[in-house]
Amino acid sequence: MDWVFLSELAINGALTGLLYSLFAIGLVLIYKASSVPNLAQGGLTMVGAYVVLALSHDAGLPLWLAIPLAAVIMFGLGFGIERVALRRLAGRPVVMILMLTLGLDIFLRGTTLAIWGGTSRSVDLGVSYEPLFLGDIFISRIHLVGAGVALALFVAFMLFFRTRTGIKLRAIADDYMASWSVGISVERGVGLSWALASVVAVAAGVIWGEVQGVDQALSLLLLKGLTVAVLGGLDSILGAVIAGIILGVVENVGADFLDPLVGGGSRELIVAAVLILTVMIRPHGLFGRHDIERV
Amino acid sequence: MQEKVEAEHILSMNSVEVLYDNVMLAIKGVSVKVPKGEMIALLGSNGAGKSTSLKAISGLLKAERGRISRGEITFQGTDITEVLAQNRVGMGICHVIEGRRVFEHLTPDENLTAAAPRGMSRSALNAEKEKIYDYFPRLAERRNSQAGYLSGGEQQMLAIGRALVTQPKLLMLDEPSLGLAPFLVEEIFGILQKINQEEGVSVLLVEQNALAALEIVSQGYLIENGRVVMHGTAEALKSNSDIQEFYLGGGEETDFHNVKHYSRRKRWLS
Repeated sequence: MDWVFLSELAINGALTGLLYSLFAIGLVLIYKASSVPNLAQGGLTMVGAYVVLALSHDAGLPLWLAIPLAAVIMFGLGFGIERVALRRLAGRPVVMILMLTLGLDIFLRGTTLAIWGGTSRSVDLGVSYEPLFLGDIFISRIHLVGAGVALALFVAFMLFFRTRTGIKLRAIADDYMASWSVGISVERGVGLSWALASVVAVAAGVIWGEVQGVDQALSLLLLKGLTVAVLGGLDSILGAVIAGIILGVVENVGADFLDPLVGGGSRELIVAAVLILTVMIRPHGLFGRHDIERV
Repeated sequence: MQEKVEAEHILSMNSVEVLYDNVMLAIKGVSVKVPKGEMIALLGSNGAGKSTSLKAISGLLKAERGRISRGEITFQGTDITEVLAQNRVGMGICHVIEGRRVFEHLTPDENLTAAAPRGMSRSALNAEKEKIYDYFPRLAERRNSQAGYLSGGEQQMLAIGRALVTQPKLLMLDEPSLGLAPFLVEEIFGILQKINQEEGVSVLLVEQNALAALEIVSQGYLIENGRVVMHGTAEALKSNSDIQEFYLGGGEETDFHNVKHYSRRKRWLS
């Protein structure tokens, strides 16, 4: 057994996993306020990346300006989605809202295809592709940057949920009716959670756009993000980060063992197995909340 | 002169009809007035329309696809029939909904924070919290544990405390005694009375437990089948033979003959 190689797989797996967490954090934000897994988070991420490209490559703005500007635009888009689409569905069965987010994902994919076409483009973040060596271990720089962004967002949101606005969002997630009864604007809270998730989508879009190019395939990463979110417990930001690391390591190391046996393609299998096993064995995930039943 | 009389009522509900899903008539012309600074009870059995009346006043009907199809509600002289629920809270109407419904995954302290009105300063909020912990010392002890694990009585206290943070002028409570031991009901009702006297908050109390409610309110309305069938001072209601028989568990004879008598009389009552 080659320990250097194994730890290289594990470390890079953990870093990739933290990039999945970028999706999962967005999912958790929306789930926390509306108890709906947002199937459009992949679509939002893709749109976030395209907006950055449109501002930097097409409009010629420098990236340091294009990315915050894209974040502002996506913040508005998130609020808009609540206003136009979700508000009508308030109080309807969750499955309706779930279907709406699925439709939204397809809509976003179609829209970007119509406007920007399907050719893959690169963001050109300017992160060097020179390998970074930690002892004998090779580490991808862009993954390291992405992991840093994921951890920074994690800290920011942990702090946010302790502020008064954050507490109100958690209250909304607990009980809509009780929230209304004390004057919390549930609609505005849900809108805010979508807006924040859309800002996270810009971060995820930029990093993933750099890793694998900006095209419609970005939205398919939702599946891995969703697996991470479910494993972590859909309403836990901490869970999204830890589960991201776990899934990344298991996927990277596991695939290395399994790929020679099955002839490749075992990554998807591992992700699917993790998703299915989580739902079967521990439906509320590693850190998700149980519904409280007092004895 | 008429103006003056109106102004003394913080709330008046005039022949309000409520429709659920556009078909089901839940209350059929209920008129209730709450004089400023007083405690009023809505009494009646299950499904009589008491909760619906409260939801009509707080605006929470909308969340259950109900609407006011006739009549109007005025609060401090302003017609609020069309005002959104969250804005009614801002005007000073707070509804403690049935079944306690605290934010289970938040701590009691966070439950209070969640109800803070927009623009309330941190120091004002902290002062408000201390005041609430003074009223409910049991909550102070458990302010940082998870609210879902509080006992039923503590959750009810938290629900009331949470409502107080919104700075209500009219506090409406839906069955606060539900499922609580008699000594707890007494404790909570005592605190409500204290809040009413010290803060000058008017209280509209919905109760099935008429016996306990009539001890603390000044007037009561009896609602049956979506209509007000009786209205009077607490004293008058307590001494009314029908009320005694049907709601206070009084009446002298209890043999089978009188059970039939009961249902006949009750139909007549509504």
